[in-house]
Amino acid sequence: MQDPKKVAQYGLDALLEAGADKAECSLTLTDKHELNVELGEFALMRTTFDTQVGLTAIRDNKKGSTSINKSDNDSLDRAAAGVLDIAAASSPDDAYDIAEAQPPAVFSSGSDSPDVDRMHSRMKEMLESIKVRYPKLVLREAYLDFTRTRNYFLNSNGVDFVTNKGVYTLVAMFSSRDGEKVSSFNYTAFSLRDLERDLLSCGSLDMLMQQSTEQTNTRPLEGKFIGDIIITPDCLGDMLHFLSYSIGDGPMISGTSIYKDKLNEQIASPLLTMHSRPVSDEICNGYFVTPDGYAAQNSTILQDGVLKTFLLSLYGSRKTGLDRAVTSGGAFVVDPGDTPFEEMVKSVKKGVLLARFSGGSPSDNGDISGVAKNSYLIEDGEIRYPISESMISGNVADMLIDVTAISRERVDYGFSIYPWVAVSGVTISGK
Amino acid sequence: MYSLDIREYAKLFTAYTELRAQENRNVRITFVRGNNTHNSRSSTSGISARVYSNGSWGFASNPEMTENSVKLAIKAATDNATFLDSRERKGKGPLPVATASSVNDYSTRKPRLGQKELLEFARELDNHIALKYPDLASRITGINCLDMEKTLLTSDGSYSHSMVPRSIIYVVLSLVKDGVPTELSDVYGGFGQFEDVFTSPSQLFDGIETQYEHLVRKSQGVFPDAGLRTCVLDAELAGILAHEAIGHTTEADIVMSGSVAAGKVGEEVASPLVTLIDFANLFGDETCPVPIYVDDEGTKAEDAVIIENGILKGYMHNKESARHLGVLPTGNARAYQFSDEPLIRMRNTAILPGTDTLNDIIASIDDGYYLIRPSNGQADSTSEFMFGVTLGYEIKNGKIGKAIRDTTISGVAFDMLKTVTMVSPDMKWLSSGMCGKKQPIPVGMGGPAIKCKVTIGGR
Repeated sequence: MQDPKKVAQYGLDALLEAGADKAECSLTLTDKHELNVELGEFALMRTTFDTQVGLTAIRDNKKGSTSINKSDNDSLDRAAAGVLDIAAASSPDDAYDIAEAQPPAVFSSGSDSPDVDRMHSRMKEMLESIKVRYPKLVLREAYLDFTRTRNYFLNSNGVDFVTNKGVYTLVAMFSSRDGEKVSSFNYTAFSLRDLERDLLSCGSLDMLMQQSTEQTNTRPLEGKFIGDIIITPDCLGDMLHFLSYSIGDGPMISGTSIYKDKLNEQIASPLLTMHSRPVSDEICNGYFVTPDGYAAQNSTILQDGVLKTFLLSLYGSRKTGLDRAVTSGGAFVVDPGDTPFEEMVKSVKKGVLLARFSGGSPSDNGDISGVAKNSYLIEDGEIRYPISESMISGNVADMLIDVTAISRERVDYGFSIYPWVAVSGVTISGK
Repeated sequence: MYSLDIREYAKLFTAYTELRAQENRNVRITFVRGNNTHNSRSSTSGISARVYSNGSWGFASNPEMTENSVKLAIKAATDNATFLDSRERKGKGPLPVATASSVNDYSTRKPRLGQKELLEFARELDNHIALKYPDLASRITGINCLDMEKTLLTSDGSYSHSMVPRSIIYVVLSLVKDGVPTELSDVYGGFGQFEDVFTSPSQLFDGIETQYEHLVRKSQGVFPDAGLRTCVLDAELAGILAHEAIGHTTEADIVMSGSVAAGKVGEEVASPLVTLIDFANLFGDETCPVPIYVDDEGTKAEDAVIIENGILKGYMHNKESARHLGVLPTGNARAYQFSDEPLIRMRNTAILPGTDTLNDIIASIDDGYYLIRPSNGQADSTSEFMFGVTLGYEIKNGKIGKAIRDTTISGVAFDMLKTVTMVSPDMKWLSSGMCGKKQPIPVGMGGPAIKCKVTIGGR
């Protein structure tokens, strides 16, 4: 391939020559090196190279987009002509636009290339540790990858961003078996800048594996009651997704978001402060450029429970008349509280340590119900036993308000950082 | 459509090798409350090779479809297999030899519609909804089309070429009543290119009218009474039950990792009324939503009978799991993108129809629920499952009662299937599903209505 910057410039020029009033071209080159484990054994080594060229054109307030994974001039010329055809067919909309000019910048994080031998030795070390420490555990699948992405984002307003990023990510899925008894599966993932630490000590992996071996002996809860739940860091992202989705383009443009009129209002407990920090040092797997071509910035979403920003793109902003967010979401960091996890447990009369939530997506108003997986009964301030066939019902918007404590401890996943969060007044039902 | 003929590269194979050329083509159009928020086409294509060496696999892919990229992919995959083998020395023997060939191109023979015509189609449908149902707070109308074209060559001598399309229109309707939003989605279409699936927007009007009527009732709906209840799972829920709760626990890789189905072949795991099959390509004379004739390892795809009259009969396999468990591969190895390795995946998983009419089933229940439409679903290695339910009704004294609000049902499939006492004769396929297991993949799910006991969430 020729100089990637020149390829991206060629794509942008092709759009303008084809008749675009405004245009943008994003070229992403991805190299992935991945080691796969199945059933506790190395199974596959995978190397993939990919090219993605995203082309967007606006002409007469009509917009079209396409994506191809070829970067030769002929392919770009054909794609550019196609984008103008797609745009010509669309409806005009004054809200279509591209990012305004910003100072050119080159962003970099992580390594340029993987240390494959280190990847193998760290995985092998993890497998050996698991065999010794958790003999009942079955590592169904795990993969450690190093992904290097180079992105070139150009638009006709003069935006010129280059991003170089290299990051390791481990994904693991596992269960435990003790004779005929099988635990629920569980999974987790985390990203790392380097492989300096042993993998089992990263993210929540060790804690979840230890819990898995306890979960071959579960008991269903009896009856139905209103209780407290302590949401673990691995589960918290699912709950916060309702908030981040509800303040994003879709529900805000359609007008169905329950938060559409709540900017600078209290929508969550004063204990809850949440940020999106894609360019923070504490987040190794963030991003530097938003999909619509702005240099990403860190942003506080909830400050002491008050909604400080919507997560609107440029289009969402122009469509709703509200401010564009300086982040495109993700890279969420929730501030720690001042309660040690052990104290949180002690304060629960009867409830559940909710470690994984397997449920339907929340409805527009936040109603949610689902199964408490890999979870535990808490009674009289103590974690009693792992549970099965037990459901949680409630409303996520209410849960955000009903937060009663946030842990001092947090788990760093590389792409987010979450504490344990206690919530009161949740319907818990068993058999 | 790509033009590279991969058959001439067999001479480059030095070990067990799969060489695949693939292109996925997508169309995505979305109108949110009349605003055209997405209007795009995309394609992703390339070459991949997977090489086996004594129990270790190497995989490599390249987006270019040239002779040089084929050579590079084969070499990199071979190097990767060699790297792992040199460190692991697993010493596992050869894979079962499976040779098959097929050409199945489901491209339409009608003139193709351009983006303009597709946009007009969606816009007309959206305008119809806006005019006919002015009380809606919001609506989303969208078109999603996916063509998956693959060519596979293996060192065993298998060769296949397939083009399997899917075209769906999704409609999301929202009402706000007393400040509370209520939403109901439905999906239309399925297997085939757009021109073969849809003729005109008016073809969907009756379905949307029914969707709207359900939405109005749902907006006045009640929370279900949480707990173990007698329920009728309509066809779409039976289909997702077949896929999530049973299907996943009987994928051989999940079995080998210790799923509850391990060691249970020959045992009674369900009511004798239950027969469950993962169909390869045909259900009777009808083409299934995701027809697979040769899988991505070059194995002829066969129907995998999972449960027959309540007895667990077998699992779904790729070559490696079949060798491990001493059975024949079933042709369930599938990859999503050119850059993905094949995994054991379902194809078209269905519970077979029975003889009790839906009316008789409902009439037999004094106090329960009729559950019609699922959202997402998930199941566990224990066979404990969960499905979101976005449309359902109370059953009181054998009659349909009030609508219920969004809820979730759960249970342990191998227990719950023993509670099945009635099965309807009608069969419906859900052909818009995407299953997630490292990679997404299109799957078909099917079933009749079944009467069973299941735990329902609520207040």
